[in-house]
Amino acid sequence: MSEGLDNLKHVVVLMMENRSFDHMLGSLSLVVENGAKKYPKITGLTGNESNPDTAGNVIKVQPNAKFQSQLDPDPDHHFPGVDLQIFGGAPPGPGRVPNMQGFVKDYFNQTNDINRSHYIMSYFTPDQLPVLTTLATQFAVFNGWFSSIPGPTICNRAFAHYGTSFGQVGMDIFYILDPILSIYERMIQAGRTSKIYYYDQQSSTMEIVNLLKNQPQIFASYSQFVADCQNNLLPEYSLIEPCYSDHPGLGGGEILASDQHPDHNVQEGEKFIARVYNAIRTNEALWRSTALLIVYDEHGGIYDHVVPPHCTPDGYSAKPSDTGTGEAFNFDRLGIRVPAILVSPYIPKGTVVPGTEDSANGRIFEHACIPGTVTNFFLQGDTKRTIREKNASNFLDLLSGPMRPDSDIPYFQLGGS
Amino acid sequence: MTKPSNVIQVPDPEPGAYNPNRAAGKLLVAQTLHLREALLHQLKELAAVLAVDPKSLKTEGEVSAYVQKATALLHTQAATPAKK
Repeated sequence: MSEGLDNLKHVVVLMMENRSFDHMLGSLSLVVENGAKKYPKITGLTGNESNPDTAGNVIKVQPNAKFQSQLDPDPDHHFPGVDLQIFGGAPPGPGRVPNMQGFVKDYFNQTNDINRSHYIMSYFTPDQLPVLTTLATQFAVFNGWFSSIPGPTICNRAFAHYGTSFGQVGMDIFYILDPILSIYERMIQAGRTSKIYYYDQQSSTMEIVNLLKNQPQIFASYSQFVADCQNNLLPEYSLIEPCYSDHPGLGGGEILASDQHPDHNVQEGEKFIARVYNAIRTNEALWRSTALLIVYDEHGGIYDHVVPPHCTPDGYSAKPSDTGTGEAFNFDRLGIRVPAILVSPYIPKGTVVPGTEDSANGRIFEHACIPGTVTNFFLQGDTKRTIREKNASNFLDLLSGPMRPDSDIPYFQLGGS
Repeated sequence: MTKPSNVIQVPDPEPGAYNPNRAAGKLLVAQTLHLREALLHQLKELAAVLAVDPKSLKTEGEVSAYVQKATALLHTQAATPAKK
């Protein structure tokens, strides 16, 4: 094994909400230094990507994303809406080709305003997102990490917990009838340690019915995460949930949502990512022994130009009445691309993991890779899981370099403007 | 640990970003429905325990089964609230 894997004791996943790769990181491809692209390997934007609007105008991607009050109402990201975004409105059936041409049309269905529908093509510039873009360029960024389903939050997050959504493509409650345990239950049953850290009780968790009911001991708050980092008590595998709502603190004060779900403040999410990173970074022993994956659950209806690839089916099928498109879904293709960044001092600076753009060396990732990788590393793959999870790419091989010196590692200072 | 030289400044959101009166989105609405479902499930378990008259329990085996169910329901491991 590599030095990084030899020293690895903890895997932490921070799962954010509802932003696409191009929206958050696509502008990195447009950065020029000394007359050349600074990050030529990143599959971001050229600036010429476009969608037609409902009046037939060609709407190009624009560097005009705002931290808040722009994507309101919330862009559609449920199964039929994402189907329109991917296939541009071609009716379901054999032979249709995904073209990523239906984002503006679909957002018009929310806004009923042609000008506002164009905002779905907006993207942030690197200076607006210093945390995410620094981590993406200093550690490993994935060109090909996709949401697991072309649909909303709950079913996509289920893939991060179970490696499958058990046939669900929506937000409905579902109960686990199959003998596939969550990654947390697998770890605990094997004598390992695992936790879900939700932000606070007002925000709570999105993994409610199956885990909160049966496994309350695996949950703790974000403040406990910080304490566990300080006291060298971090579990071997943990997932962190950001704050999902603006709400008053129990002791007073204002708690802002940090999940970056539209229309929540994107800068608050940046601060939260920085806090999680700093909590690990400032404990030398923890920093040397932890891999932190920052990933978004789905694209939130926001434009990305990369066509989602096919994938290994997980053995389930969603009925036409569940998909809302009139066609069954066999979990044989992925959802839209999302930002994903792996952080560790053993990752060579500026690592870019190739995706669908590289037919020879490209690697495809999705949320089933999370329990897949954790199970393979901590449990040597010894558990019942779907064929899709078994076939999912592992990401810990990216810890391939020697330990980087402190002077080469960023540190985030919070506060101020 | 020596503070690294490459410090990245992270700005605060603009004043006025906080809006607890924002309309709740579909995700938060779904979360409340799921929580309610979990509570109803717990209520059924609670009702089943409360339906048993403790005076009817005669053996240590019966008592220990009752105690186990009651303890499991009462001993919830609530997380401490986070501080900003």
